[in-house]
Amino acid sequence: MSFIARRLTFYATAFFLAISFNFLIPRLMPGDPVDALFAGAMGKMDPSQMEAVRAMYGFVDGPIWEQYLSYLVSVVNWDLGPSVLLFPTPVTEVLMIGLPWTVFLAGTSLFLSVLIGILSGTYAASNRGRWFDSIVPPLTMFISAFPYVVSAMVVFFFLGLKLKWFPLSYAYDPELDPAWTWEFISSVIKHSTLPMLSMVVVGISGWLFNMRNALINVLGEDYITMAEAKGLTPWRVMLRYAQRNAMLPVMTAVSMAVGFVLAGSLFTEVVFNYPGLGNLMLKAINARDYPLIQAILLLIVLCMLAANFVADLLLIWLDPRLRGK
Amino acid sequence: MSAVPSQQPGGALLNLRGLCVDYVSPNGIARAVNEVSLEIHSGETLGLAGESGCGKSTLAFAISRLHKMPALISEGEVWFNGQDVLRMGDEQLRKFRWSEVSIVFQSAMNSLNPVISIGEQMSDVLLAHRDLTPAQALERSAELLQVVGIHSSRLSSFPHQLSGGMRQRVVIAIALALNPKLIIMDEPTTALDVVVEREIMEELYELKEQFGFSVLFISHDLSLMGEISDRIGVMYAGKLVEIGTAEQIMSHPTHPYTQGLLASFPTIHGPKVRLEGIPGSPVNLLELPAGCAFQARCPHQTEACLQAVPPLEPVAGRQVACWNAGRAA
Amino acid sequence: MDASVTGKPALPESGAKARPERQKKRFHRIRGFFHGNPPALIGVGLMVLMIVACSLAPVLAPFDPERRVARPHEAPSAEHWLGTTRSGRDIYSQALYGGRTSLAVAFGSGAIAMTIAVLLGMSSGYFGGKVDEWINFFTNVVLVFPQVPLLIVLAAFLGQVGPPVIALLIGLTAWPWGTRIIRAQTMALRYKEFVLAAEVMGERRWRIILVEILPNLISIVGGGFIGVVLYALLSQAGLEFLGLGDPSAVTWGTMLYWAQNNSSLFTGAWWDVFTPATIIAVFGGALALINMSIDQVSNPKLKTGPHLRIWKQLSVKIERQRSQS
Repeated sequence: MSFIARRLTFYATAFFLAISFNFLIPRLMPGDPVDALFAGAMGKMDPSQMEAVRAMYGFVDGPIWEQYLSYLVSVVNWDLGPSVLLFPTPVTEVLMIGLPWTVFLAGTSLFLSVLIGILSGTYAASNRGRWFDSIVPPLTMFISAFPYVVSAMVVFFFLGLKLKWFPLSYAYDPELDPAWTWEFISSVIKHSTLPMLSMVVVGISGWLFNMRNALINVLGEDYITMAEAKGLTPWRVMLRYAQRNAMLPVMTAVSMAVGFVLAGSLFTEVVFNYPGLGNLMLKAINARDYPLIQAILLLIVLCMLAANFVADLLLIWLDPRLRGK
Repeated sequence: MSAVPSQQPGGALLNLRGLCVDYVSPNGIARAVNEVSLEIHSGETLGLAGESGCGKSTLAFAISRLHKMPALISEGEVWFNGQDVLRMGDEQLRKFRWSEVSIVFQSAMNSLNPVISIGEQMSDVLLAHRDLTPAQALERSAELLQVVGIHSSRLSSFPHQLSGGMRQRVVIAIALALNPKLIIMDEPTTALDVVVEREIMEELYELKEQFGFSVLFISHDLSLMGEISDRIGVMYAGKLVEIGTAEQIMSHPTHPYTQGLLASFPTIHGPKVRLEGIPGSPVNLLELPAGCAFQARCPHQTEACLQAVPPLEPVAGRQVACWNAGRAA
Repeated sequence: MDASVTGKPALPESGAKARPERQKKRFHRIRGFFHGNPPALIGVGLMVLMIVACSLAPVLAPFDPERRVARPHEAPSAEHWLGTTRSGRDIYSQALYGGRTSLAVAFGSGAIAMTIAVLLGMSSGYFGGKVDEWINFFTNVVLVFPQVPLLIVLAAFLGQVGPPVIALLIGLTAWPWGTRIIRAQTMALRYKEFVLAAEVMGERRWRIILVEILPNLISIVGGGFIGVVLYALLSQAGLEFLGLGDPSAVTWGTMLYWAQNNSSLFTGAWWDVFTPATIIAVFGGALALINMSIDQVSNPKLKTGPHLRIWKQLSVKIERQRSQS
């Protein structure tokens, strides 16, 4: 099987397992979650709606495999049940409110972290023996261990509350209506500055290190010496010979980082009251909105698998050794 | 430091004078090349022999100033074709590299960039030094591949798609690209099996006849070296301990180390002789003893050897660095 | 000169005479780890300091962390070094006592996860074949799952989870990283001569794994352990911050939870937030530095050592001399 086909099978299996996990969890946990669900709904649901939720979860009469099949069918039909929190809106609709903001926040933060990290990592690796490489890597290593929660709170406090440089919550000024106007866009940018800053500051460290170490390893290889011996320009040696090879492990790391950044953005959103999936998750937890919680998990899993797959494609494009004969 | 001449002394192609290369390690500074002076003349093949870690490759890299941290050329001069290599500016050095001196590295697999094609790796050196269009560079690359007996369809291949022998030929072709005056060959056949090694050595000999370049042939295989070199130099612990014509070194070595090296190689003809090695292990460069570096392993060691480092002096028609050279022969 | 010396390195002596030699070597190796390595010193120093302080909580803490001992939200003073919470509890005492629980959970998770990782990784690497295929597949699937959201979902379904359950949850989900690395190393060692020799001699399999292979993996296992402890510390704090932990327990994470819930930042009681935040950040940072140092020991090229600076100085000096003469 070709590399791509194998990876696709793998991802399909993983997704399948995620769905099964979602199916099993309510049945394995202590107590009957469906009852807890209805308790959380506090009398807002009427019997027919309760039946609908039951059906979605597959809590129908019949052997367990029938329940499983019925659950699979609902998932494939993108019916993940109604949200308890925002009853009777279906969960999928609720997700769509928060998803774009989380993707915007997490995606842009990851992009910026990777970019700054790669540039500074390259600089550190090329200038060893100077103060930059002696101090910056250990320092950023230290900072990278801060949880997103902590960095969010620090940024929130100093830059938001005390200095009041940037707004502290929401994705944009609540008085504005979403539109493709400069007013709206600039508001979005302003409101996303603090949350993104808190995530990028913690994230840079990882990429700096990744790039620096990959580059140091590559720079020690014989083909770099040969490239220099050939009298090629320093630019060509650095870009086409060194970077081209050092990027490979960095790209692998990017795919794994997507999950980590998504998870971290959940916490950042809570601190900044940013209307993404994270904030939704918190509210769902407090309201015991199990359909929503599980749907968020499924969505994140989907995003991660997609990111992994894109990274695989990228890797094949970059590394001819993987292409096979 | 004595006054540096502004012109190359003597008329040789390559002239190394008192060259010293140091490595800065966390445990101290190790002198990998210790005041080595030698010459290579136009069209000659000089072999450089010695154990692993004796400084031969370090010496070779110094010629093009290829050292990376933590190595540095601390003393001495490198003169090539009238140019003072150590005092060249960056751009001048870049132009000098490969067009005057090229290198065939030990492992072709490791010296080729794994993610770009063979054709690109051959063309880029042409494009970096000559005023050619990419198409012309590619054409020239195809010609070079033909010289070493590889079909031009291989230009689009990647290094991992070629066999070991083909890779070595590609690397040799790249080394010939700019018609350099000196080609350094750092153990070019160590990674190959004997059959391929024989083929490559014969091709090298023919190419040398055809193009007329000088060769600095580095190897630990003295018998191989004896076949193709005009002169042979032997290094130990960073110092040049003996240097003479191939005939002199191979048949009548005078330095105890050279004698030990030759005695380690079995001969195919003649009666079976008990193999002798050289006792002990290579000296630690961070803990050099006073006096001759070879003292601990030398069967002819005397009091004088412990006191002072023997200088390179003419004995029996070649240069030897040994207090007991006359007697040990 | 004794010409009978064969030139081969002397065989290591066995028996009682060799014991002090081995201990001396170990001592030198440990010394070598710290020598000229300020990040390692700082990391280990901080970690030891905090562990000792928290273990001595009954001795060092001036107050009972769960009793109300002063007015709410008092600023740091001579009597209450780190101020008080909204419920009037002493933060300094909470930090010390809370540390015992948080660190116990973190190290406990580390132990659980690494034990699983060693078992699975070594089996996979040593036995190969079908065993390896299945374990590897399983590992990859869990690896591709977003770990923190998974934890969140599990915790949400379980209701509120106390520290022991958190330790279990984290330990049971954090093993894939270590498994991968241990598997790779075991495979590299598996066909080395000393293992093959042991097999031929008929040594029992479990003995080969434990006595021959495992000691060579110590540095990887140690590094992995530190990594999981770091991850566990941060995840635990994250879970508790979201309200999934047991709010009545005193841990660094629940301190953050209460601080956030009581809007301490808004009311100006910054010490309520900063104490747990700083402690988590500093301990995490210390762990990260230790991790980095362990990495550098196995790959000395990556070291940010003083000898590179010396090299730089020497090169510059020599350059200057050359251009002048």
